[in-house]
Amino acid sequence: MTLFLQLLVEGLVIGSIYSLVALGYTMVYGIIELINFAHGDIFMMGTLVSLFMVTNVFHLTDVSKMSLGGMLVMLVVTCLASIVICALLGVLIERIAYRPLRNAPRLAPLISAIGVSLALEDIAKAIIGPNPVAAPYLVPLVHYSIGSVDITNTDIIVLVVALVLMVGLQWLVTSTRIGRAMRAVAQDREAAALMGVNVDRVIAITFLIGAGIAGAGGFVFLLSTNNTVFNIGFELGLFAFTAAVLGGIGNLVGAMLGGLVIGLIRALVTYIPDRDLPFGLPHGGVAWQDAVVFAILILILVFRPTGLLGQQLAEKV
Amino acid sequence: MTAEHEQAPQSTRQPLLELKKVTKHFGGLAAVQDVDLAIYPQEIVSIIGPNGAGKTTVFNLITGIYLATSGEIIFEGQPLKKASPHQVVQRGLARTFQNIRLFNNMTVLENVLVGEHLRLKASILDAVFRPPWVKQEEEEARRRAIELLSFFGQHLVDRQDEYVINLSYADRRRVEIARALASEPKLLLLDEPTAGMNEAETMEAVHYIRRLRDELHLTILLIEHKLMVTMGISDRIAVLDYGRKIAEGLPDEIRRDERVITAYLGKAATADRQTWQVALRPQPEGEANNHHE
Amino acid sequence: MAMLVPSQILPQTGETRRLLLKWVIAFLVPVLVFTLVWSGEAILNAALLAIFFPGSFSIAAIAAGLFMLLFYGIITGLTGYLVAADSGRQSLLDLWISMFFFTVVPILLIYITANLFVGLAASVVVWAFYYYGRRLVRRFRPPAPLPPLPSLKVLDAEMRATLLTRARLGSFWFALSFSLIWLLVDLLFYFTGQYGQASLVFLVWILLRSVLLPVAGWLLGSLGGLVAIRHAVPANGNGSNGDRAGAPVSTRRLRLLSATRAREEARDLVPNDLPLRSTGARNFYLLLLLALLVFYPMIDPFLFGPGTDSRLDNYGNAGYYVILALGLNIVVGFAGLLDLGYVAFFVIGAYTWAMVGSPQLTVLTGIHINPDIWPWLFWPMLIVAALIAALWGVLLGAPTLRLRGDYLAIVTLGFGEIIPIVVQNLDKYTNGTNGLTGIYSPAFFGVHWNVSTSEPYYYLILVLIAIVLLANLRLRDSRIGRAWIAMREDEIAAAASGINLTRTKLLAFAAGAFFSGIAGAYYAAKLSTVTSGNFSFSDSVIYLAMVVLGGLGSIPGVVVGALAVYAVNVLVLPQLDALGNDPSSIIYPIYTHILQVIPNFSFSNIRNLIFGIILVVLMIFRPEGLIPSTRRRHELHHTEAEGVEITSLDTPPGAPGFESEMRVE
Repeated sequence: MTLFLQLLVEGLVIGSIYSLVALGYTMVYGIIELINFAHGDIFMMGTLVSLFMVTNVFHLTDVSKMSLGGMLVMLVVTCLASIVICALLGVLIERIAYRPLRNAPRLAPLISAIGVSLALEDIAKAIIGPNPVAAPYLVPLVHYSIGSVDITNTDIIVLVVALVLMVGLQWLVTSTRIGRAMRAVAQDREAAALMGVNVDRVIAITFLIGAGIAGAGGFVFLLSTNNTVFNIGFELGLFAFTAAVLGGIGNLVGAMLGGLVIGLIRALVTYIPDRDLPFGLPHGGVAWQDAVVFAILILILVFRPTGLLGQQLAEKV
Repeated sequence: MTAEHEQAPQSTRQPLLELKKVTKHFGGLAAVQDVDLAIYPQEIVSIIGPNGAGKTTVFNLITGIYLATSGEIIFEGQPLKKASPHQVVQRGLARTFQNIRLFNNMTVLENVLVGEHLRLKASILDAVFRPPWVKQEEEEARRRAIELLSFFGQHLVDRQDEYVINLSYADRRRVEIARALASEPKLLLLDEPTAGMNEAETMEAVHYIRRLRDELHLTILLIEHKLMVTMGISDRIAVLDYGRKIAEGLPDEIRRDERVITAYLGKAATADRQTWQVALRPQPEGEANNHHE
Repeated sequence: MAMLVPSQILPQTGETRRLLLKWVIAFLVPVLVFTLVWSGEAILNAALLAIFFPGSFSIAAIAAGLFMLLFYGIITGLTGYLVAADSGRQSLLDLWISMFFFTVVPILLIYITANLFVGLAASVVVWAFYYYGRRLVRRFRPPAPLPPLPSLKVLDAEMRATLLTRARLGSFWFALSFSLIWLLVDLLFYFTGQYGQASLVFLVWILLRSVLLPVAGWLLGSLGGLVAIRHAVPANGNGSNGDRAGAPVSTRRLRLLSATRAREEARDLVPNDLPLRSTGARNFYLLLLLALLVFYPMIDPFLFGPGTDSRLDNYGNAGYYVILALGLNIVVGFAGLLDLGYVAFFVIGAYTWAMVGSPQLTVLTGIHINPDIWPWLFWPMLIVAALIAALWGVLLGAPTLRLRGDYLAIVTLGFGEIIPIVVQNLDKYTNGTNGLTGIYSPAFFGVHWNVSTSEPYYYLILVLIAIVLLANLRLRDSRIGRAWIAMREDEIAAAASGINLTRTKLLAFAAGAFFSGIAGAYYAAKLSTVTSGNFSFSDSVIYLAMVVLGGLGSIPGVVVGALAVYAVNVLVLPQLDALGNDPSSIIYPIYTHILQVIPNFSFSNIRNLIFGIILVVLMIFRPEGLIPSTRRRHELHHTEAEGVEITSLDTPPGAPGFESEMRVE
């Protein structure tokens, strides 16, 4: 039971990072129906920017020697830098690789996105090399025990940041002018354009916000795991994208939910013992993590073809 | 105008298609409610009604695109039950769409060939190995497709290799009908076959719809907004309003039906009756009102 | 109709001279460059040596010589055809310049880089600049636009005879001038004593050749002329029966077609404004390509020197990418179902042969098979592997039928992730991450198969590609292919035309997976080892890139796309470091410059960066792919023109539509 609860907490933490990245996938998909394969790599760039900020700008070696104020300044500045740079990167990518393809066949931007993804990974590899890079602790690690479950302060930070960003985004989309414009463009680009919405600008802003959130995701990821690698964006991005689809692609709440569900599944699967079927799986659950996630995804989609919270798109007959 | 089979008492014959209390709900909204309708062999029946009356929904129910919430659809004495769209085609119903749904990046000929899909036998292995009978079947299919196109005149035959997207609106409608004919239907459902056509094209459409019945012995159910057209070619007319059938009868009866007039013009518009009567006059007149969007 | 005076229709007699000049020079230059600067001469000489000097007998050299004769023959015939087929509207200079860029430049670049793919890649770069330059020039001096069907003229019997004569003259003059120049050069060599001891044979050959070539030219010209006549617009072609296969295109029908469509149709016809792109010319190209592919292993040593085996090995690998791309094209290109997990079927195919064709079979089942017979099992297992993959294709397809668009994509993606994990974790059967080794090569009469000789695999993959290609072409033009394309275009209309969406989708998945299974079995046999770690999502992505880059739904496009992606990714980019370090190469100076700025720079570190940029740039400039299917090109140009659809006002607002309601079981 303890182990179960412990895994639950771990699942929630990693799940909320998936959710943050999934938001970007789902926003972009919602507005231009593109699977933005480069989004995971923007997240990866977020981890790199955060790493660069703490090691090269703040010259962090041991956080326990820092004053509380200094640490807070470092965290906030690092997070903001990550958000801003990722947001700009997102807009830049949209401008270069996707905007010229607005009216192209559907799969052309997809391939373009794959190209950007490959390019970003190689750039990252050129910067940090092919191996995982460890980061120093960004906050002094504190363990809390609730019952027998162990929670660290970084876990709590991750959850809080994720929650704040998600609520903020939800508010932005439902209650602001730009949010309304985004929804209008997502519904019907031509009609929105006729109504005076600057479609290009709205799409750029969508990329800006989505990539910014991925930047924040990159920051909290570094904070909670203390390492990064050039292809983390690819792997994590795959699950984030899966989360977006699971929740119902184009649906913000769905993306959050999907992220949490996948985080939980991945955590709980490790619980499966190393035994032959039917009492376990050869090599234990860890070896099957990804397979189980996708198997459950397929099962869910069989019964809910448009995801957990997906709306049925109406097609006129 | 009145075809001779009109005289035969309908009750003695078995209807080709029969709708019994067909109802369709979308969520809480009843798009079609308790619609009864019977269509007899070689009849031309029109469904008319204001926008949003549920006409196309009826078509979608008949052709298996939507599943009726309740009620029964019977074709040749056998219920269609839960037949999916292609099974419906197999039974002998073919349709066209209001917003022409052709395969835009295929040629005219290929579009009609797709319509012949069910008639052809070649399986995937036959397609790869292409034994002589498959070659023959393909040739035969092409010959038939061209024959169908020639129903609308040499002019479509000449354009058999054109992508349909390059055709005029009226020609696209014709190709869509040819594609529907290719499946050898007994009942043809035409969803607004003259929408978007000019006066001359409309008259031509009326002409060939009648020929479809007279020469190919088809039964035709059509949705039409141009009352001039419906009044002209229908043997019978059914009127839908808010998903319910409010009237059914001969064109002359419909023209005089109070409920129909109210449904079309609204209660306040009694003053417009004169116009209405003019609009419904069966003879094609120069400025007959086009009640379509 | 036949009243038209020939002189008005075909270029006049004075014109004939101009046409001869035009085409003879256009082909003489590249052929001479190839022959004299490069290997044409050497290959033929080697063949002569092999025949007349017993010590140096070699079948390969004779075969290579045979290819060269074929090569010269096809080019001569082509020249005749072009002289006959040309409507004379394309200007001399235009043609010569483009011929120079598209033949001489690649020949020279391949010669300089001594590497087929690096040379071709460099040529592509040059072509890009050429196109850019041409566009600039045209902006200043726009050429008179070609009307859609300017040359669409009816030809009667007399004019056909003129065509035939013209074709003969074309080939004859080409052959004559070629042989004269060649003779001069060879005599020069001869009298400077370059040919040494074998000189007499060569002298006889040179003289004989000079006489025979013009004669052969005359004969081949007749051939070219016959091809041209086959495509000539017939005088009495009313085409009223409209049978595309048999009856010729009628001029009247062509005039009724829209400009774009008519231009496509008119490509088949003679006289032709752009004869190089006409169907008749294409037959010659195909023949040439076929000859090249068949004889390639023999010519390769003459062209690129030692290392033939490793090059053939690469082409053998490129081959299964072609099969994979063709298979994926059925799913994505024809049926319009986005598949991001195509690698799964490849894995299944590979493991099928790996588990049956390796000692693992004995380990698992205890069955012992005579090692002489074992390799023969490859052939039936090739089919079995494909069938098993197809079965899995159906199994994957089944749950996805209700899904649309990108939901489908994610399920296929998931499947592509699951399969390698399953293979990896069921190590009891598959040997997990250690993989399976000692997989048998196929066996065939009198062929020595072995992992280190690539030639048998080269021919095997050639045959497999030919079969898959033929199957694809036939499928496309069949009832099933039409159903796939119809489904891609509009599912609802397809269903309403009697197409069973369930079946059709499953068939697409099965057919795609089938070809992937073939590729997989071939891969296992060629590598003789498979490891689960070698397959991942990024492979699926690469396959997809091949298909989209080549041109969705276009069979030639997909083949080119697969070769291009493979070449760039495997043959060109990894070569860049070696090339950069080689002082004689063209990129050496650039490389050294970069090294001065970034000391530990290496192209291998930025392979994906370059590849990624290439993908983005190509998509931006050619979103429809390198060789789009005519349909697709069309679609692209009409997306905007299509405008707003008349929407069905009969659907109640907010009503859940077709998606949720349509029943596909």
